[in-house]
Amino acid sequence: MKKNINLKVNGEEHLVSVDAKDRLLDVIRDKIGLTGTKEGCSTGECGACTVLLDGQSVNACLYLAIRAEGKDILTIEGLGDPTHLHPLQQAFIHTAAVQCGFCAPGMLLSAKALLDKNPNPSEQEIREGIAGNLCRCTGYVKIVQAIQLAAAMLQDGQSRPDYQGKQHDTGAHA
Amino acid sequence: MLQNTFEYVKPNSLGEVLHVLDELRGKKAHVLAGGTDLIPRLRDRSKKADYVIDLAGAGLNQLVFEKDHVRIGALVTFATLCQHPEVRKRVPAIAQAAVKVGAVQTRNLATIGGNLCEGVPSNDSAPALLVLDAKFRLQAKGKERLVAAEQFFVGPRRTLLVPGEIMTEIIVPLENDFKATFLRFGRRRAMSLSVVSAAAGVAVRDNQIATARIALGAVAPIPLRAHKAEQVLSGQKITPEVLAEAANMAATEISPISDMRGSADFRRRISAVLVRRALENAIRQATGPANEEEHQSQG
Repeated sequence: MKKNINLKVNGEEHLVSVDAKDRLLDVIRDKIGLTGTKEGCSTGECGACTVLLDGQSVNACLYLAIRAEGKDILTIEGLGDPTHLHPLQQAFIHTAAVQCGFCAPGMLLSAKALLDKNPNPSEQEIREGIAGNLCRCTGYVKIVQAIQLAAAMLQDGQSRPDYQGKQHDTGAHA
Repeated sequence: MLQNTFEYVKPNSLGEVLHVLDELRGKKAHVLAGGTDLIPRLRDRSKKADYVIDLAGAGLNQLVFEKDHVRIGALVTFATLCQHPEVRKRVPAIAQAAVKVGAVQTRNLATIGGNLCEGVPSNDSAPALLVLDAKFRLQAKGKERLVAAEQFFVGPRRTLLVPGEIMTEIIVPLENDFKATFLRFGRRRAMSLSVVSAAAGVAVRDNQIATARIALGAVAPIPLRAHKAEQVLSGQKITPEVLAEAANMAATEISPISDMRGSADFRRRISAVLVRRALENAIRQATGPANEEEHQSQG
């Protein structure tokens, strides 16, 4: 069963022909060509496919594309671009919170959803906010530090990767 | 990619949903709520569908506090339940269970009705609802019945639901002097299925337990009440001994299996510990300062 639907991804409308069985993940990667969203476990456990739907984080592998019509979809490609990195991306680079990078798109979007709701989260709240994103490289310590740095940057209105703001070293005790 | 395609139907009202389900009786039709269980099962082909009926247009996502009960639409998500200030304050056991389901992404999608209707013995919403004496509204075309939570579960992934019938809402009585709490033991703090889950609720009068209700999950083919343990407590003065006796009794009422998450013996021991702690928490709430509830729902 095919249907033409309009999907709004990163602020841009895409007219795509979807089958009822297509998951949002399949359409984002294979039809729209945005491959930053990763497929890991396909069962909603690893978080590699995390996207934001109307600001809420969801697993794109658990969501039928046909249900996403009329919703605002944010993928990692819409978070920032190489010349205008989002403070979270700057903080991840600055803190070296990325190793293999496979979890990073989902991790960053979970972090964005968290900071949008809670601009100044505790370490515990950060860990709960990214509990649905598995990272097999970092051990999470630097990721938590990066999110703390990004929170401080956003609160101080700063967006430089060399940011040395007053809360910069809070992560060292994480 | 899901292997087999299907017809996707999204009715615009509950009446239409029930009509469509009636028409499709005898066909391979599945209702879609949050999709966190259905979509992976369609992918691994443990479920097959010719039709998927999306419930999103049926208006089942309401959460309404009435005078003496709260009505929770079957499509209310766990994210809503764990954040809702009134749920956290007035029925904290539900919020305590909701926050233990999956992680942020799955809680944003997964619904309480979907969780219950899958009938998985380890589902985390059932024990709290059993203790709160909840009722489930089941509807089919031209039919409606209200069943007690305790009657609803029949076996692993089996419930009272018949073809063409769906759960539309969960009705939870609000009893001012009855305080309930939920606890669970998992292999990890996040993203784990319960090895054992337990809920306990009490009403205390003059330092005596006037009412006690206890329920456990993941330790029997269905989530179940521990009636004998409740009887141990009924009318008794609150002492550590009587709580321990009730907890040990609860551990005799279950029939746990051994699996990769824990052995039957381990589950039995953990059950006694969790029941005792859930009782202690509930008693603290029933007798302690009013702000206890808010603290408890952080878990």
